[in-house]
Amino acid sequence: MDTLYISNKDWESFIRGKIESRKIFAPFDFNGTLFYAKITAENADDIVYNRARPVEPLKLFLFPFKERVSPSVEGIGDIVVMGPAACDLKGLEILDRVFKDGDYKDPCYAERREKTLIISFDCASPYPVCFCELVGLHPYPEGNFDLNVSRIPEGFLVDIGSDKGRVFIGEDQKFFQITDELRKKRDEGRRKAGETIKELNRDFDFTNIENLKGACQTELWRIPKEVENCVQCGSCTNNCPTCVCFLLEDTGNRKEEMRKTKVWDSCLFPGYARMAAGASPRPTLYDRYANRLLCKYWYMVENFGMKGCTGCGRCIAGCAGKIDKRRVITEVLREKEKV
Amino acid sequence: MDKNIYEPVKCRVIEVITESPTIKTVILKPEKEFSFLAGQFASLTVPGVGEAPFTPSSSPYEKETLEFTVMKAGRVTAEIHNLKPGDTVGVRGPYGKPYPLDFYKGKEILLVGGGVGLAPLRALFFALMHTVKDYKRIVFCCGAKTPDDYIYKGKILDEWHPLCDKLPLCFRITVDRKDEKWKYGEGVVTKTLDGLDVDIKNSVAVVCGPPIMMKFTTLKLLEIGYTDPQIYLSMERKMYCGVGQCRHCLIGDLFVCKDGPVFTYDKLKGKPNIWV
Repeated sequence: MDTLYISNKDWESFIRGKIESRKIFAPFDFNGTLFYAKITAENADDIVYNRARPVEPLKLFLFPFKERVSPSVEGIGDIVVMGPAACDLKGLEILDRVFKDGDYKDPCYAERREKTLIISFDCASPYPVCFCELVGLHPYPEGNFDLNVSRIPEGFLVDIGSDKGRVFIGEDQKFFQITDELRKKRDEGRRKAGETIKELNRDFDFTNIENLKGACQTELWRIPKEVENCVQCGSCTNNCPTCVCFLLEDTGNRKEEMRKTKVWDSCLFPGYARMAAGASPRPTLYDRYANRLLCKYWYMVENFGMKGCTGCGRCIAGCAGKIDKRRVITEVLREKEKV
Repeated sequence: MDKNIYEPVKCRVIEVITESPTIKTVILKPEKEFSFLAGQFASLTVPGVGEAPFTPSSSPYEKETLEFTVMKAGRVTAEIHNLKPGDTVGVRGPYGKPYPLDFYKGKEILLVGGGVGLAPLRALFFALMHTVKDYKRIVFCCGAKTPDDYIYKGKILDEWHPLCDKLPLCFRITVDRKDEKWKYGEGVVTKTLDGLDVDIKNSVAVVCGPPIMMKFTTLKLLEIGYTDPQIYLSMERKMYCGVGQCRHCLIGDLFVCKDGPVFTYDKLKGKPNIWV
């Protein structure tokens, strides 16, 4: 992979030069928290590079919360999303398999994916809820981006991950080949961020995470006390980079028109799996809570050959019941071992 | 461009037949041909109301019309019951895997259906009857709560039952509670499996009905000697997309929509809450 160097000043003017021609979103600090916003001439200096992942998952740009799918929407525009982290990029693999690479294609996803240029960032200051290292990932992107930006004091290192990324850089003369010294500097920063995440997670044990396979007994999920604090708000599923569940609403008129709208759904909602006559395969809160984690660490592993959890920690950060899933999993695995 | 997976084929309602106090059959004429294989299902849209998955109850060989037999259980099914001839609905599909009829060849096919579960079995029955000589014998065990709840009564009792004299076919008919006019068996449908004269080693059992019925039928079939892979169960779950994306229908890691809706029991064992 090509990695180029560009000075701080030149990168900033490079980005400024792009905002006229396309919509570019990047992370900005709102009261200490990172949210995506559109870059404008006024805010371009305030982009937050290389801190950690923004609050919103990347899927928001590719799989909108609500979208008409029949007849499908038209006029999807080109956008650039700056700032997704490694955990978000890993999640893309699941989104792609569900909506683009299977036997049946979503009407809009592939086009939107094609028209979205992704400029990811390294994470230098992970949150206490981050745990990518527990699920075998690292706080720096290793693929699935068009460009990746690593900040070092001297400027930016830019990895080119795709032809799309190469075209975006174009013939700009301000990018230079990097030296081994700069690469070493970056590697050292990355190593430190990884160590920080490991340190933040030393109380949690995911060693035997594959043992969640078959852990579907309701009683098992009553053992971690905090599960009862779940208020079934759906924050964890909405913010998850790999939660793809949606429902279809019929939004046409009552006579002939058949319009269908896709809306995010959450398996934590009691109505999610409830059938017409009222029966539900997951009648209790514990079944539903377990289902989400089993989906991440068992079902998706079978479905896609990879975990559905990338360690972004959004489900922990956003939990209204203050449930730390890492503690729940550690406890459930420990209990299961006893049986 | 790929065809939009969410765009239904428009259908005109031709006829609505009342099968029982809670079950109706709607006969539809699709605007363009809609083919399916026995065991596959389709999503039926009532415009502006919603969509729900059903296995057609008509013959897969019938290309002009399509029938769905639907029990009134919720919002969408209530609207299906309100349909009148001339109304417009939509169908998407077919989805899921068909029954492996090639594998069934030369075998004794045991069909066990209860209540509205007879609907998918009716499509399978038509398909089997189409090439009935391919199978050693068809044994059809039918059950319902009461004689009034029996669907396809006219067909089963008056048209199909008499065929048993001529074809390798046999019916075992029961209701949970009979009335004074009922001249067939009484008892839950598992009772029809008592004294079954089937060469179990060379047989498959296809079961469709309410979860509790499927559970006890499976247990009974295992008791009389069927093995897990010989038992074909029709699973039902909340479903939206029908194509393995929305994840509502998962039973563990299995999609009812694309891996099913019919599963052999060995595939389901160990998955969470299968008998719902």
